[in-house]
Amino acid sequence: MASAATSPMHVEGDGGPADDEGGLYTVATLIDELKHEDMQLRLNSMNKLAVIAEALGPERTRNELLPFLNESIDDEDEVLLVLAQQLGDFGSYVGGPSHLHVLLPPLEALATVEEPTVREAAIKSLKGLADSMDQGNLAAHFVTMLRRLAQRDWFTSRLSSCYLFAVAYPRVSTATKAEFRGMYGQLCRDDTPMVRRAAASNLGSFAEQVEEDYLKSELMPLFAQLASEDQDSVRLLAVSNAVAFASLLDKDAKEDEILPVVLSLATDKSWRVRYSVADHFPEVATAMGEELTEKELASAFVKLLVDAEAEVRTAAAGQVTAVAKCLPDQLIIEILLPPIEKLVKDPNDHVRGALALVVMGIAPLVGRSATITSFLPLYLLLLKDDNPEVRLNIISTLSALNKVIGIDLLSQSLMPAIVKLAEDNTWRIRLAIIEHIPLLAEQLGVKFFEDSLSELCLGWLSDKIFAVRQAAAKNLKELTETFGEEWARKNIVPRIIELQSNPSYLCRLTALRAVEVVASTGKQGLLEDKLLAIVFKMAEDPVPNVRFNVAKTIQQIHSCGGLEQPELVERARQVLDRLTDDPDVDVRYYSARAVECLEID
Amino acid sequence: MASNSDLDRQIEKLQRCEYLTESEVKVLCSRAREILIDESNVQRVDAPVTICGDVHGQYYDVKEIFRVGGECPTTNYLFMGDFVDRGFYSVETFLLLLALKVRYPDRITLIRGNHESRQITQVYGFYDECLRKYGSVNVWRYCTEIFDFLSLSAIIEDKIFAVHGGLSPSINTLDQIRIIDRKQEVPHDGAMCDLMWSDPEDIDGWGLSPRGAGYLFGKDVVDKFNHTNKIDLICRAHQLVMEGYKWMFDESLVTVWSAPNYCYRCGNVAAILELDENLGKQFKIVEAAPQDARGVPNKRTSPAYFL
Repeated sequence: MASAATSPMHVEGDGGPADDEGGLYTVATLIDELKHEDMQLRLNSMNKLAVIAEALGPERTRNELLPFLNESIDDEDEVLLVLAQQLGDFGSYVGGPSHLHVLLPPLEALATVEEPTVREAAIKSLKGLADSMDQGNLAAHFVTMLRRLAQRDWFTSRLSSCYLFAVAYPRVSTATKAEFRGMYGQLCRDDTPMVRRAAASNLGSFAEQVEEDYLKSELMPLFAQLASEDQDSVRLLAVSNAVAFASLLDKDAKEDEILPVVLSLATDKSWRVRYSVADHFPEVATAMGEELTEKELASAFVKLLVDAEAEVRTAAAGQVTAVAKCLPDQLIIEILLPPIEKLVKDPNDHVRGALALVVMGIAPLVGRSATITSFLPLYLLLLKDDNPEVRLNIISTLSALNKVIGIDLLSQSLMPAIVKLAEDNTWRIRLAIIEHIPLLAEQLGVKFFEDSLSELCLGWLSDKIFAVRQAAAKNLKELTETFGEEWARKNIVPRIIELQSNPSYLCRLTALRAVEVVASTGKQGLLEDKLLAIVFKMAEDPVPNVRFNVAKTIQQIHSCGGLEQPELVERARQVLDRLTDDPDVDVRYYSARAVECLEID
Repeated sequence: MASNSDLDRQIEKLQRCEYLTESEVKVLCSRAREILIDESNVQRVDAPVTICGDVHGQYYDVKEIFRVGGECPTTNYLFMGDFVDRGFYSVETFLLLLALKVRYPDRITLIRGNHESRQITQVYGFYDECLRKYGSVNVWRYCTEIFDFLSLSAIIEDKIFAVHGGLSPSINTLDQIRIIDRKQEVPHDGAMCDLMWSDPEDIDGWGLSPRGAGYLFGKDVVDKFNHTNKIDLICRAHQLVMEGYKWMFDESLVTVWSAPNYCYRCGNVAAILELDENLGKQFKIVEAAPQDARGVPNKRTSPAYFL
């Protein structure tokens, strides 16, 4: 579309960092393509705006590039997004801190567009600029821009302004500060709910900057007003504000002014507000302090745990351990245990799932005996839950429990449930159990392990599902390392021999994988004993997939130093040589590669 | 020409659900053509092999199939068409399968489904997806050219006949399929069209298909075809079955469907059929990949073409 001639900027060989043939051409092209009709090319140029600016130098960037950019604010959102991001890092290209204000007009325009991602990027860039602007420019340019943004008719402009007060506030004059607080109050009472929402979500960060006197006299009323307003989407933001205000105010003010608001939000008629309270409860409790939490908030949380709305219960259940951490042990048992007992039997899968993911964390908080009497039965129920997701969630946190109640009790009470899960129909559950086996094995010791898990563990090697077989094979390494070579010779080797004659080629392949894993433990004796013979024998398998995996396995064993004896290397070479004449192309390929590998050393 | 190591790198990329560059697709497709052009309309496949039905661009569910059935090339696969359309990742799904085909031609077989067509892909999503992901239709053009080279059916150990849709009144013997000139867009009628569009139904003889292409065919038709061609079983895809697979006609025909929770909303499970070296059959159920095994869905995907 636009050629270099119609573009406002001409780049000639007049110095600058890009003044070699190639660089110059690139910059000229980039400038051209800022106006190209293909969006991809405009986007590309926009991404390289820094290169253009560097070539132009600060003065021409200010006088030519920025006016040009000011006129291109009606582009596609993707291009604008990049522009908004780029301008945030443009300080050095326009000539440093004293010139930063020239970047404000395009960003001001970008902060008012329809597309939220563009506005967000512009706001982020504006915040960064405000930080590095000198006081004079901030007062002269940033403040006037903010005034305009906060008062324009179109709501997106006012909405964006809410994000910018906090960053400028500490560095403006007392009179402007008063004006800012006034404008912010205005925005909190704006007719458009979207603007009020933006004002509410920034109230906390604004409050952090405001002097304590004004915080109490001017901002607290805004907080209270937003917390009781009609739109639930605005009200629910009051929860985070409560956290922010609570950490700025003294205990009396918390108790008198913030606590009532939190308690009323916790029983709000809209479930979305209650959800927000439940979801942020640990932060609220921390900010409000121990005493208020124990005295007032804990019972509000209990109500959320048994809320009529499943979404709210899910959020509360997910926070139960974090909240428990803010309470003394005794209170956990007294007031949290009863609702948790209910939640374990909640009809909603998501509620139980959220609970199962965290509830194990309570065990270390209440200690061994309380865990055994009160929480262990609940864990057992969750381990037997109908929903696989719930079972999976509780299993994944099992090791926390181990530390608290010890292995004896764990194996007595939980092992039957774990064994049942190990035979679960959902393969991801079996997989999750398998992943916990090495840890369990280590803690259980040989005897417990052989009693309960050994059979399962080896049984998984011929599971129906590939991923389970792979994981089972992988585990052999840890098991061999934990229980030693003798144990492996007695338990693992016979299983691998069995697999080798399995009617399914996919299970026979697991035998090869298992040999590779055992080889990686460096227990040479195990390999030489029987396992290598198995691998060599499988080179005669009727299925080509098995044969080329024999080649891969030999290569693998060799690379972890499993073929020490010269006669073994010789034997491997003979097997591979035969395979390199195989009718199947993949067998020939992989055996040739393995031969190469053997040859290298 | 790209070497095996280039291909291995591309397969790794596709295994991470990243798509290839336009020029890589071009090279891949020209290599695929060299391989596919030599395949028969009734491609011979050795057992053991694992048979899969429609996957429809559900990339993460294809990965789930590989988790359940084993990775290619360790496990042999036969995919019975409908690789693209409807799902969010037709490009990645088809290119992954095609790259595996080029790298391991003897370990994976791809045959054509009714969605491997220029006309259909312009309506059901593959065309739009290519345009969105590459900004041009070149990749769509390369892929649809390759569709014309895909085989029409497969015969496993002379006993199991695999085809996307079903039978055709103009076909009695496998030899009649072998002489079709397949290198063309899927026609609106005739033998080649019927193989990709027909459905089995509890009727006698032949019936009109409600799909507007292909035919309905009954048990007698299957019995006669199997007898004439000395085969035991017809294995086909093409129809959603909630349990993933469905036997019909005294186990002389089976439907295998491999897109779990089809269109991300149907609530069905998928199945794959594992045949061992003696043609022993075992169905494996595949459920939709859980959310945490999926990538973040592309922001700009438009679900307008769903159902």
